[in-house]
Amino acid sequence: MKKMTGSQAVMESLLQEGVDTIFGYPGGAIMPVYNALYDYRDKIRHILVRHEQGAGHAAEGYARMTGKPGVALVTSGPGATNLVTAIADAMLDSVPMVCITGQVLASLLGSDAFQEADVVGITTPITKWNYQITKASEIPEVFAKAFHIAGTGRPGPVLLDITKNAQIEMMEFSYKKAPQIVGYQPNTAPNDRQIAIAAQLLNNAERPFMLIGHGVLIAKAEKAVKEIAEKAGIPVGSTLLGLSALPADHPLFVGMLGMHGNYGPNVLTNQADVILAVGMRFDDRVTGRLSDYAKQAKIIHIDIDPAELNKNVLSDVPIVADAKEALTALVAKIKKNAHKKWVEQFRAFDKEEFEKVIRHETHPEEGEITMAEAVAMLSKKTKGEAVVVSDVGQHQMIAARYYKPEKTDSYITSGGLGTMGFALPAAIGAKVAAPEREVIAIIGDGSFQMNIQELATLAQDDIAVKIIILNNNYLGMVRQWQQLFFDKRYSFVDLKNPDFVAVSRGFYVDAEKANKREQLSKALDRLLASTKPALLEIVVKKEGNIFPMVPTGASVEEVRLE
Amino acid sequence: MDEIKLYTIIIFTENKPGVLYRIADMFLKRKINIESLTVSEIESQEMSRFTIRVKGDHLAVEKITKQLYKIIEVVKVLEKTDEALVFKELALIKVATSNAEKMRGVEDIVRMAKAEIVAVGSTYLVIEKAGSEEDIDSLYALLKPFGIKEYVRSGRIAILK
Repeated sequence: MKKMTGSQAVMESLLQEGVDTIFGYPGGAIMPVYNALYDYRDKIRHILVRHEQGAGHAAEGYARMTGKPGVALVTSGPGATNLVTAIADAMLDSVPMVCITGQVLASLLGSDAFQEADVVGITTPITKWNYQITKASEIPEVFAKAFHIAGTGRPGPVLLDITKNAQIEMMEFSYKKAPQIVGYQPNTAPNDRQIAIAAQLLNNAERPFMLIGHGVLIAKAEKAVKEIAEKAGIPVGSTLLGLSALPADHPLFVGMLGMHGNYGPNVLTNQADVILAVGMRFDDRVTGRLSDYAKQAKIIHIDIDPAELNKNVLSDVPIVADAKEALTALVAKIKKNAHKKWVEQFRAFDKEEFEKVIRHETHPEEGEITMAEAVAMLSKKTKGEAVVVSDVGQHQMIAARYYKPEKTDSYITSGGLGTMGFALPAAIGAKVAAPEREVIAIIGDGSFQMNIQELATLAQDDIAVKIIILNNNYLGMVRQWQQLFFDKRYSFVDLKNPDFVAVSRGFYVDAEKANKREQLSKALDRLLASTKPALLEIVVKKEGNIFPMVPTGASVEEVRLE
Repeated sequence: MDEIKLYTIIIFTENKPGVLYRIADMFLKRKINIESLTVSEIESQEMSRFTIRVKGDHLAVEKITKQLYKIIEVVKVLEKTDEALVFKELALIKVATSNAEKMRGVEDIVRMAKAEIVAVGSTYLVIEKAGSEEDIDSLYALLKPFGIKEYVRSGRIAILK
């Protein structure tokens, strides 16, 4: 066994877990680890962010692209509390992440020492697991446990809080990956009987409907989804986080579910006779009024987290399993079928949505540029092959609706927590993880100002993320709600924004602005042609609204087109 | 909505620091009030046994049971109604007995209730009662007129039938 300091053991543990990149920010209580990192800087790439929240979201973006836990490294007290939003975000969106926080000396714990905060206490409700390491000798075992928990079962964030003495002490290093944990043995194999019942339901269904979520991407079950859909002729709708699991132009893909999803999949959820829900959790944004949600349908629900089954929607056939394993077992048991008439019903709704919403959103003949127009043009220019990372608000829904991904893992956003400020740092993480792919951050003017400092991170490491600001000088989603549900009382939603082009250039990131329709195409071409980080501000229609919309508390059938 | 009932949730966990906090947090998150809670070591030294009594409808209790498994240290969770359990609670009641007549009155009640006097002071008696929550409640009601100086209950312990 090799003798080393706790901080060196942290580095060796990271290497054992195959970590090649971490996102972080140094400070007092984590300095010994940073000191060790200096010797490992050829093996572990460290991206220096400008705010710890940025490190958290960047680690999330990295994890979303690779499927491996993203790693964030920060100091105690404010360093750790700044990570909290990103941790909560990762918890709700099932993103594997290992956060390492420094902590004061074990001998000072509980004494209100400088930069001491009870980080384990603060993060208990928002982590899959957390632990405070107070002795160097614990490091290998606890790291192995942390990576195992973060990356398996339903993934999630894990936090390790390491007291400064544990970083300094000497210890003997030996590492054993994937340790046995008595209370943690996620089940991945489906129950054969449940699969048989599910297959029988699907084989007898006249109007089957498959709902896919983030779990499909996490389990890499895209191919299995496609096989089932094609074999049995089942139309497929996706949650916000399931987007890009099936190519947007697949003949059986019928669009997005939920509040700003497509017309057909919302209305027809309440006409399907069998619903096959895979790796999704019937979030309230998807279901609308629960008491009127899919009451007529038999529901087959596949999820790796047993606590999700029967949580919001009672299922007739609950299946606790990995999405890929369950679908692979299922595909063998289902019969060939085509539900042509049923699929046509979706297409009829599509036509209506196109006439009433999409046509004039994506091809306005006059007036200001619309968000949809810009995104649809981007989608065409990139052939749907870019990774779109969106922030939170109107532009997020527009990006989800009008960017048409052709490749898997191509739409990254903050779904469950709805964290403004997510996109820029998450795009940094995504680009670092997949440098060969075009990564485009689509961000609203409000969201951009929540983590705008990360422009400096882009510039410092020359990370070629392309940023599109869709600027309507409003907190647009809140304004839309105020217009529709609060008598147009626009309470604190108009923004006097900085000159984004000047700000960006000030950070040494190339930038330009388009505010006229005739500028748009060329400006997008220049943005996409750049090999460096670059920003394009597009000034869009000030009071644009997103439709369709299922208002809060309404049933999915009551989806409005205007 | 199901009928509101009392449930006993028995949780076996690894004996690690912070487990109580994690479990309490889970009940807080779902706004389920804990009626009583006891924690003890079990046969195997590395494990703890939580016995938690809660009021709720069956669906809510079933949901929290599943969510408790999300706590990594939790190994096994059982939710049971009283019919499936042998259970007891322990209470200590300190009753004011300013004169001999009162003392005799208390002694009579203690005998009837199959309780026990475990300490005698010049102005009080301390009574110990093991039994169901209802047994303890009714003894408490009988003793209340004498003046109760102090009163403590252990929370339920339970074993499966």
